Amino acid sequence: MKTTTHKITLLNTLLLFTYFGFVILMMGIVLQYIPAGTDTAFLGIKQDYINIQWYLPAFYIHVFTAILALPAGFTQFSKYIQKYFKPFHRINGRIYVFSILVLGAPSGFIIGLYANGGLSSQLAFCILAVLWWWFTLQAYTNARKKNFVAHKIWMYRSFALTLSAITLRAWKWTLIEIFHPRPMDVYMIVAWLGWGLNLVIAEIIIYKKIKK
Amino acid sequence: MKQISFITLLFFVVSCTNEKNKTGNISSNFSFASSTVNIHTFKNEFGIEGYYTGYFEASQYDEKKDVMYTNKITISIDSLSETVCYGHSIVAGNMRPFKGTYAKSDDNIFKVNAKEPGDDKYDGAFTFEINANAKKIKGNWKSNDQNLAVTEREYELELRTFVYNPDLELPEYLTYEGLYGTYKETDTSSIAESLTDDIFKYNASKVLLKTKDVENMYQADLEVLRNSIYARHGYSFKNRKMRFLFDHAVEWYMPVSINITKSLTPIEKQNIELLKRYEQHAVKYYDSFGR
Repeated sequence: MKTTTHKITLLNTLLLFTYFGFVILMMGIVLQYIPAGTDTAFLGIKQDYINIQWYLPAFYIHVFTAILALPAGFTQFSKYIQKYFKPFHRINGRIYVFSILVLGAPSGFIIGLYANGGLSSQLAFCILAVLWWWFTLQAYTNARKKNFVAHKIWMYRSFALTLSAITLRAWKWTLIEIFHPRPMDVYMIVAWLGWGLNLVIAEIIIYKKIKK
Repeated sequence: MKQISFITLLFFVVSCTNEKNKTGNISSNFSFASSTVNIHTFKNEFGIEGYYTGYFEASQYDEKKDVMYTNKITISIDSLSETVCYGHSIVAGNMRPFKGTYAKSDDNIFKVNAKEPGDDKYDGAFTFEINANAKKIKGNWKSNDQNLAVTEREYELELRTFVYNPDLELPEYLTYEGLYGTYKETDTSSIAESLTDDIFKYNASKVLLKTKDVENMYQADLEVLRNSIYARHGYSFKNRKMRFLFDHAVEWYMPVSINITKSLTPIEKQNIELLKRYEQHAVKYYDSFGR
């Protein structure tokens, strides 16, 4: 029996562990918003906006539900699970799709309208939200139509944007460690870099794995 | 009679505040309510009452301990009777009353020997001469506690009037000052955290700051902008970093008070709140992964 497709490589393991570490960090970020306040963490510098009707509900929906998309990274790309645990793949996939289409992306769009750093970052976060929603929808409808190659392609794109929650923060940390930039300057940079580069990498993966 | 009531009062206060008031400034045995005194109003009866400001420099110290070599001090000559001189000093966030005898010489020099109450760790005795003609004070101070990092200090102070003036600006060379405590002498590779020109952009005592004015500023600049408000009110800094900066690099700065909250203007109060918010955010999240 050939097991090459199910082989767990060292690189994969390493990536999974790194991802696990970042997911834990992300959970820590979410947990600091319990109990929910109007002054907690990020909201400390959003005081001009918290009185806008939609802002706080959207913010908290985003904080508490967008994270539901992250566990997909552990399971959904595994060919083994795709093959032998189909119902699991489907249930987990539905959680992912629902959390993004109904909660994470729309709430992200609303808070994106009030992003720090002016028009540039507002555009960055709103485009991110729209693309995230669109890619995920495409991935879902293609799965329903059993177009699994297209499903896979769109999922690479969708997950690339899901990952921006982590890469945006990682880039911010890295740039600050190296260049010590001003807080809002770095924010405007990572607002684009956080997901733009992910999308480029996703397209490269798609090209190499599927389209060749 | 006076003596008796004084002793009863002393007993009362000591028995009440024995536990909690170790660092407080209420000293019942001095006719001085320092905790409520903000800016002193002087009656000029002897021609020497007033604020004298200058550097309080360590002359006897233990190098192995945490020595703060120079602080800016204000000695206030509050009032005099025929034999007794009443005053208080404000230095390093500490306001302490003193009381002592004095002798006036023919050339208009007052020699004062005064003691602080003795219930504070940093209390001691002042010996100085007030030159009424030159409007200067020169003398020394010896601590009661011989185990302190600094047990003796010297000073030459000049008479100076304190007036709150919102127009006072931070001096241009402030950005060249390394911030105290942000670099270690042993670690030559690290660079001192420095200030940027942002601190000259706004006078936080005059202009109501908005989010967009401060959101792109570094924490150090925000902190200096906020503390410049306190400095204009003559606040004596406990915080070493700010004290070092304002004591040494801001000529107009003179410490006269340890509680200035009541004298802040509405603009200043709002600015303090905004600046503090962004400072706290910067401290917590600027170089962290998440928020």
